[in-house]
Amino acid sequence: MTTEIMPGLALQKVDERIMTLNVGPQHPGSGHMRIVVQIDGDYIVACDPDPGYVHRGEEKMAEYRNYITNIPHLERPVIHDSCNVLYPYVLGAEELLGIEVPERAKYIRVIASELNRCIYIMYWLAIYGIFLGHSTMFMWPAGDREFLIDLMEKMSGARVTHAHFVPGGVRNDLPPNFEDVCLRQVNYFEKRIKEYAAVFYDNPILISRTQDTGVLSKQDAIRLGTTGSVLRASGVDYDLRVKEPYDVYDELDIHTNVMKEGDAYARSRIPWLDMMESCNIIRQALQKMPKSGSVRTKLKPNPKTKVPATVYKRVESGRGSLGCYIVSDGKTEPYRLKLSVPSFRNLIALPYLLKGEKLGNMPSVYWSLNYWPVEADR
Amino acid sequence: MGTATGIIRALNSGIKHMAIKRFTLRYPEEKLKFVGDGYQFDPSTGVGIAGLKGRHMLFHDHCTGCQLCSIACEGVAEAIAMVKVPEEQKQNKKAIMPQIDYGKCVFCGLCVDACPFYALYMTNDYELSSFSKEGLIYTPAQLAVKPYVAQDSEIQITARGATHG
Repeated sequence: MTTEIMPGLALQKVDERIMTLNVGPQHPGSGHMRIVVQIDGDYIVACDPDPGYVHRGEEKMAEYRNYITNIPHLERPVIHDSCNVLYPYVLGAEELLGIEVPERAKYIRVIASELNRCIYIMYWLAIYGIFLGHSTMFMWPAGDREFLIDLMEKMSGARVTHAHFVPGGVRNDLPPNFEDVCLRQVNYFEKRIKEYAAVFYDNPILISRTQDTGVLSKQDAIRLGTTGSVLRASGVDYDLRVKEPYDVYDELDIHTNVMKEGDAYARSRIPWLDMMESCNIIRQALQKMPKSGSVRTKLKPNPKTKVPATVYKRVESGRGSLGCYIVSDGKTEPYRLKLSVPSFRNLIALPYLLKGEKLGNMPSVYWSLNYWPVEADR
Repeated sequence: MGTATGIIRALNSGIKHMAIKRFTLRYPEEKLKFVGDGYQFDPSTGVGIAGLKGRHMLFHDHCTGCQLCSIACEGVAEAIAMVKVPEEQKQNKKAIMPQIDYGKCVFCGLCVDACPFYALYMTNDYELSSFSKEGLIYTPAQLAVKPYVAQDSEIQITARGATHG
């Protein structure tokens, strides 16, 4: 009940039973964001997520930098998933600049993007483990990421922010003997993540914590505009790699993991299944990749777009569909750039999921949304 | 599957780890092995050569003082400044060369892509910490030194688990 006593100044009458609790913005259970929770005893009555603490103006910065020097900036929102964050921008810039991409570069991009997806999900899984008090599940994924980070380091020269994709292909060719090393480490990585079933996913303690908490029905998932693993955990078969294939994803055989429960357990299990699918895709791409050839179309140092145009491209990132909208006015810089990020779209579901839950279930529901605060704030 | 069985299976999965090899790396004593001699770029083909993006290396006999690396860095980190150098090179009439501030550098390597004269490469040297801000600024003379990087450990996968051999 709100009464406005002056323009802009409102008084709210509160129930004596209801307590307002700020979780965050410096709480280890929330990341760089605040969740304003109203609780009645142990039960959540209402919840208001409050992002925006790490807004860095990435979109505005992009208007003052040319198409090449934008690359290190635009991968900063999610540094663990930096290839996938950059992917829609690179695809859009290629269409604006009118560049053809060599076939081998497309396969290298697919491998890099799938490796990055796994690196991101492992980091997410490590934090999900420690949110639930399962410290083994923090140590194992944090250690097993190393196999893939090592591959990305060999491929691009950097462990975290790679700056590897450019309009026209990738920055450098694969190092010698990379295919064998990649196959060996990816196979071992898949063997390792299958061991997580006994210790985490089939663990009765985890199941009792997450099953039937924060249930999102199929209709609500579509109505609220969620995406990625949240949408697939609610029973919607939607993956941009299959539905709108970009680069060479249409030549690869991809299976979409769908669960129909829509609870926190399903949302935490879908990324784990996605990692195994990513290992599958990497193996297929290594097999089908042309063994030699160019990896980058040569560009002028400061390329200009041909005509004023707009372009919208989207890819399936580790969290869901990630879009990039570029308006060009024929200069060396984009006129306007906008990112449509999956984290923000998944966060919208949080108030609906937490209503009626116990306060102790908040971390398990919140982090199961595959939410990354820095990406939501850009 | 009952609750007790599930918990026992989870414990069993953890106990197995007592038998497999240690995967962590004892960093200052052991160091990771990298591919190649650092990230390099071939301007004739427009494609780079894979390697670690670490500290730069400047070849004084190739640098013409054209400032393209500095211009490339303007939109990224503004880490490169062009400074006067005492020695006189035939190809470098202005006698200016890049000086790199590693407090600002993000190691993206776009300056290496910008150099058309094979003068600026990146090396495997990643241990750049310093006690002062001034210690992070590398002059052209410091950049010309080829670093020595010890590399001995590589990931090895055996039947008893992975290890840094």
